[in-house]
Amino acid sequence: MARVYFWFGLLLLGVTGIADSRGWLGARPTPVRNVPQSIRDNPGAYRSIYQGSPRYFGGK
Amino acid sequence: MAERQGPVTRGFNCANCGAAVELRALQHTRTVVCTSCGAVLDPRDPTLAILQEAAARQRLTPTIPLGTRGTLHGHPYEVVGFQYRTIEVDGDTYGWNEYVLFNPYQGFRYLSEYEGHWNDIRTLQALPALSGSAGRLTATFNDTDYRIFQTATAVTRFVLGEFPWRVRVGDAVDVSDFVAPPNLLSRERTPQEATWALGEYLTGARIWETFSLPGSPPSAGGVFANQPSPFAGKPARYWRTFVVLALALAAVLLGRELTARREEVFTKAYTFEPRRAGETAFVTDPFTIGGSGNLEIGVETNVRNNWIYFDLALINVATGTALNVGKEVSYYSGTDSDGPWTEGSPTTRLLVPRVEAAEYYLRVEPEGTGAPVTYTLRLRRDVVSLLPYGVALVALIIAPVVVTLRAAAFEKARWKESDWAPQGGDDDAGEGGDS
Repeated sequence: MARVYFWFGLLLLGVTGIADSRGWLGARPTPVRNVPQSIRDNPGAYRSIYQGSPRYFGGK
Repeated sequence: MAERQGPVTRGFNCANCGAAVELRALQHTRTVVCTSCGAVLDPRDPTLAILQEAAARQRLTPTIPLGTRGTLHGHPYEVVGFQYRTIEVDGDTYGWNEYVLFNPYQGFRYLSEYEGHWNDIRTLQALPALSGSAGRLTATFNDTDYRIFQTATAVTRFVLGEFPWRVRVGDAVDVSDFVAPPNLLSRERTPQEATWALGEYLTGARIWETFSLPGSPPSAGGVFANQPSPFAGKPARYWRTFVVLALALAAVLLGRELTARREEVFTKAYTFEPRRAGETAFVTDPFTIGGSGNLEIGVETNVRNNWIYFDLALINVATGTALNVGKEVSYYSGTDSDGPWTEGSPTTRLLVPRVEAAEYYLRVEPEGTGAPVTYTLRLRRDVVSLLPYGVALVALIIAPVVVTLRAAAFEKARWKESDWAPQGGDDDAGEGGDS
């Protein structure tokens, strides 16, 4: 089983290197399609899903 | 002790029940127990005196019938004797079977059987060296250290067949077992003498095969004192492999650090005035991302004791597809009774994975309160992300951790039956010791 572990590890290393170089890993935001072309002239016409999310009003 | 020399018989009739009793070990036999009635007889006594009647006529059936032959270590042996012995530990009685095997040229050897665990045992002519302190003895034999496992008084409860010593029901000896799996050293002491024996763990399947026993062996229960661990040596192997793989992972990361382009595709500074009325959202000039991969959006601000939130949309000029992300930047500092403190950071970065090569622009919508904030948006493609390497490292460490835990659990199960059970085990820890 240690041999299986070794080969699994090597496979994991390869996948990790490729995934990082190609930017595969990480949570990719869901693409929003059909953003109105007018956004360039009127940026306020588009609101992302993050609008209105909670804020931290921190400080010690 | 000088043995009384007398006539030796090859067989006789039991003086107790009259059944025929056959001697297999001939002149080596000191005691024979009638297989019919269980009476213990001295075959050298011309009158076949009954040494002892079997206690309450209790009968046990040996798993390996007397007279069965099998080959051990390349020599044929015949099962000539059987006894059942018990020890008492903390009020609980534990019993096991012992078989006497005989080969006219090789002499005697023994098999012990406890809940499906078997040991091939031979008496030693050499004396193991004892060392240790505070009762935690170690016996050294053939350059192998054996740790004390248990000391108890073993009492013979039932005997059958032939034995190379004078055996009788009720015989009691102090037994100390020392283990170095798969071997076990056993010392049996009486006020007159001490005998050492070396046992090697055998599986029931091996015994069944050796003696061509019908059916299949019963499954072994629990972990026996000298049962070889299926994980022996594995944790060290797995951890060594893990170190090799972790170093290889570090090499891959280093390679990425050296080859990552970190190509800056957009940089621009802005000022956000929270108190100014009107729309705060704006779009940047278009910029080109020359290759697919991840995209780092770095935000550097001069925020202090304040916060600013960025609502960002990376919009593909050609397709109109947006990737929405958000990030807060907050930085606070001050001084209190504990001294100076800071919290947060005036800079941040976020990574957008799998961004295709194309022309994009950013829609930026800052939110905040208080004083104006100056900030710089810096976008770079093909940067190194530590996340996949961290995930890989965690995935790699799982196997050695699991193997180590399982090996430890096996050893814990082994030692919980000893006089030296681990703290929190079923038995009292460290209350035993060599007598």
